[in-house]
Amino acid sequence: MICIQDLSFTYKNGTEPALREVSLTLPDGDFLGVIGPAGAGKTTLTRAIAGMIPHHYTGDYYGSVTVNGLDTVETPLDQISRLVGTVFQDVESQIISPVVEDEMLYGLENFGVPRAEIPRRLEEALGMVGIADLRERSIASLSGGQRQKVAIASILALKPQILVLDEPTGELDPRSSRQIFTLLRKLNEEQGITVIIVEQKIMLLCEFARHLAVLNEGRVMRQGEVREVLAHAEDLEAAGVNCPRVTTYSRALSARLGERQPVCVDLDEAEALTRRLMK
Amino acid sequence: MNNLFEYVPGNSFIHRLNPITKLLLTVVICVAAFVTDRLPVLLGLLAVNLLFGLIAGVAGRTWNILRGLLKIAVFLFLLQALLYRGGNPVFWIITDQGLLTAGKVVLRLVVVCMPLTLALAVTRISDLTNALTQVLHVPYPYAFTLAATIRFIPQFVEEMNGIMEAQTARGIPFDTARGLKKFSMIVPLCAPLLISSVRKTDQTAAAAEVRGFRLRTRDSAYKRYPFSAGDFAVFACCAAILAGAILL
Repeated sequence: MICIQDLSFTYKNGTEPALREVSLTLPDGDFLGVIGPAGAGKTTLTRAIAGMIPHHYTGDYYGSVTVNGLDTVETPLDQISRLVGTVFQDVESQIISPVVEDEMLYGLENFGVPRAEIPRRLEEALGMVGIADLRERSIASLSGGQRQKVAIASILALKPQILVLDEPTGELDPRSSRQIFTLLRKLNEEQGITVIIVEQKIMLLCEFARHLAVLNEGRVMRQGEVREVLAHAEDLEAAGVNCPRVTTYSRALSARLGERQPVCVDLDEAEALTRRLMK
Repeated sequence: MNNLFEYVPGNSFIHRLNPITKLLLTVVICVAAFVTDRLPVLLGLLAVNLLFGLIAGVAGRTWNILRGLLKIAVFLFLLQALLYRGGNPVFWIITDQGLLTAGKVVLRLVVVCMPLTLALAVTRISDLTNALTQVLHVPYPYAFTLAATIRFIPQFVEEMNGIMEAQTARGIPFDTARGLKKFSMIVPLCAPLLISSVRKTDQTAAAAEVRGFRLRTRDSAYKRYPFSAGDFAVFACCAAILAGAILL
């Protein structure tokens, strides 16, 4: 369980707080999508959960974050990292080694995974993301999307209980993005891994996430189940967050017909609503 | 220049050598080049370098290094040849002694520049760090710093090219300017380059930290680096090179 209480954080040398009194509670096995305009504090939130704040990025820190009962301020970063796997937004700076295989090995070696288990973990993680054929390649020879998959695989190999991903599909084409989300859902449902994902692809997020948190100017504007949050689409749009087109569509229908229609979250629902109204 | 430090995959005799052996060979060639003062020995060392590149199957890289050194080599040769006094004049103010000295200076430069670049072309940086910590007992943070430096050179160049391309697209004539003019145009770009690089480095440090950087010990690496018969053969070659450079 992740429990964030009244968390406010200002980076050292920062003038404005990046997070303001954020409170969020995530039960084990949750799938939380985080959305918000640029500079809303999404990345800062992921860093706080992963313990990089306050261990790596220092600044003014108020409130508390506990991960599985461990306070991230008091617990050494190494210990938090064993629980929380993080995929960075900037893949380029996440990748440490010049060759895919070495990048995969790095975390496994450091966390003392038994030698006999390492080859299996490595193959498994590469296979899950679908890049088993890239194992021997140099990072420099890979495309942005391939690098992103390497970064994700290198974290999956560590088998964290909690996965924090900061825009992990930013460089991926629609098909690979969906593949990653499908993989995350599988890990979430079959192994009970908690997933926290910052994502701009709102349609995918609404389809796969169980809960949504909307951040704006360092505050949590809305949080709750996806449908609940989307019901306040006008607030989201005021904050500069795009809604899925089907949601906009159902809202437009409500406005046009002068009576409130249910909020659509995916294409099937939009189709059903349209058919019902046309009768 | 962009890929001068990039690893060239392969399975040659040199590739399979222990990283420490390759490092030793590099050091020995450099030391020998400074110990000796004879042209034939320097030529011999150059031949060793070329052989090194050839056996490792990186002839292309070897050629690129030589071509990269050409401009500075010519410049140094002319400088030495024109400024050296003494010996018998051969042509205008150039003397035979001057030519010989200039030749030796240039050869020494080439001989010293080649082996490390070649060694890095046939050694994975992670193998180098692992072997340094495992075999030579270098503390991991130091080995990591070395690896990070080598790793970031191409990234630095890539970023610089990105900034220059962006400037060219906005009408600044980076593509046509030459020499001092181009240099004066590059200077103002250093600040943004430095800032973005520092930020990136900081994030990479964070990435290493959340994957157990501080937990890594000498025995963490999955691979092991024992010395093989080939390594001992190269040790013998190293001894021979050193002896040759001192005695001849």
